[in-house]
Amino acid sequence: MTLNLQHLLKTMIFLSLTFFSCMLWAEIDKEQAIHAPVEELHASLLSIMESADTKSFQERYHVMEEAVVNHFNSPLIAKVILSRHWKTLEEQSQSDFIDLFNRLTISTYVDRFDSFSGESFKNLSIEQMKENRFMVKTELVRTNDGPVSFNYIVQNDGGEWKIISVIANGINDLSLKRADYSAIIKERGFDALIASLKEKISDLQPK
Amino acid sequence: MTGSHLFKLPKFLILTGILLLATGCATTQNSETVGDNDPLEPANRVMFNVTETLDKHLIKPIAKKYVDVTPVPVRTSVTNFFNNLGYLNVILNDFLQGKIHQGITDMLRFTYNSTFGIAGLFDVSTPIGMPHNVEDFGQTLATWGVDQGSYLYLIAPTTTRDITDQVPSTLLNPFFYMTGIIFAPISALSAVNTRANLLEATKIRDEAALDPYSFTREAYLQQREFLTYDGEPPATGYDDIFGDADDAGNAGNEEESGMLIIE
Repeated sequence: MTLNLQHLLKTMIFLSLTFFSCMLWAEIDKEQAIHAPVEELHASLLSIMESADTKSFQERYHVMEEAVVNHFNSPLIAKVILSRHWKTLEEQSQSDFIDLFNRLTISTYVDRFDSFSGESFKNLSIEQMKENRFMVKTELVRTNDGPVSFNYIVQNDGGEWKIISVIANGINDLSLKRADYSAIIKERGFDALIASLKEKISDLQPK
Repeated sequence: MTGSHLFKLPKFLILTGILLLATGCATTQNSETVGDNDPLEPANRVMFNVTETLDKHLIKPIAKKYVDVTPVPVRTSVTNFFNNLGYLNVILNDFLQGKIHQGITDMLRFTYNSTFGIAGLFDVSTPIGMPHNVEDFGQTLATWGVDQGSYLYLIAPTTTRDITDQVPSTLLNPFFYMTGIIFAPISALSAVNTRANLLEATKIRDEAALDPYSFTREAYLQQREFLTYDGEPPATGYDDIFGDADDAGNAGNEEESGMLIIE
């Protein structure tokens, strides 16, 4: 009887340890999955910075294209930026806007991250905003100046964690673009917005 | 009262007027969203266009020339000098916000930079752990619960709350008490140096913005929020843009709020 009790106790301890280990691993896995799109983006940014002098704009564009297409939830970002105007658009116009917006995002990254002097990205913390939405806090460490805060809102859609907003030094790119684009739509209409985006993309290309 | 102080009296009255008017406006303004915080948009846009034109044809070219002919260490020292002159206002606002430790550190920073840093030309405090802090009366009012008020564009972006900082920042700046002969050239140098330090930021804005007015307003208001929370605004505040911060409350108000609800 005593032996059975001891056996039962051991089994219970073993099962509890196994259960808590699984919980812990699941939590670590989840945290890694949330960080993954941000880390992939940072790796691509460092890559285009380091190769700024050796690779062409187009080669660096392809590196960033992969990162943006795979790790940003562009349809959701486009919906938020166009806000109430989104629903007034035909499916083709929505799709065109997403495509243009991606091209502008990629071109802007390639244009801005165009030199390397020992910079690195550092993960700071992670904060839950909603059940499937987290803020990943990071900073760009610079050798000749203070750090720049880069925070990302990452959301799980259909089992995949993707970036839905970038906040650089407190300025949320999503809010900035929404205010900027809605002013153009209000004053000159959606076609003018598309024309302006095309012009910006063209301006960012090397001459 | 000396002659030079009598000369400064109208300036002081104007500043006091700004403080009273702006505080009044700021406390009666309750809007939360950025779009609603710009009821003076038509007038602001006029001022923005005037300033941009003046900047494009006069101030920016001078600032560029200044950058071309002035070595980086000299420009850094000029920036340090003006930052140090304005630092008494930072110290006051540290204490008004209850940041006692930061206030004491900033007093030490001001003393070190004014003495060992030769009148503030060299920042000798940052390397020994006393960094440059950014505090002003607008942030102090924010920590006291005063709403940001209406967005204003005068010669730079501000709000009816933030413009109140003009009073303490001017009165606490030793520069304000200088005589006219020194005041004019130093004012000009300060303006050109400030514009030169903003060349990169305005270049980024001009490259990215489709409507520079809206872009500047949004960036300014967000940057102020960031500073008010000392670089750590609550993450949940960023949920508002998705229109689902309060699922139960907002879900039916899509048309009313003009915001697309993201599920």
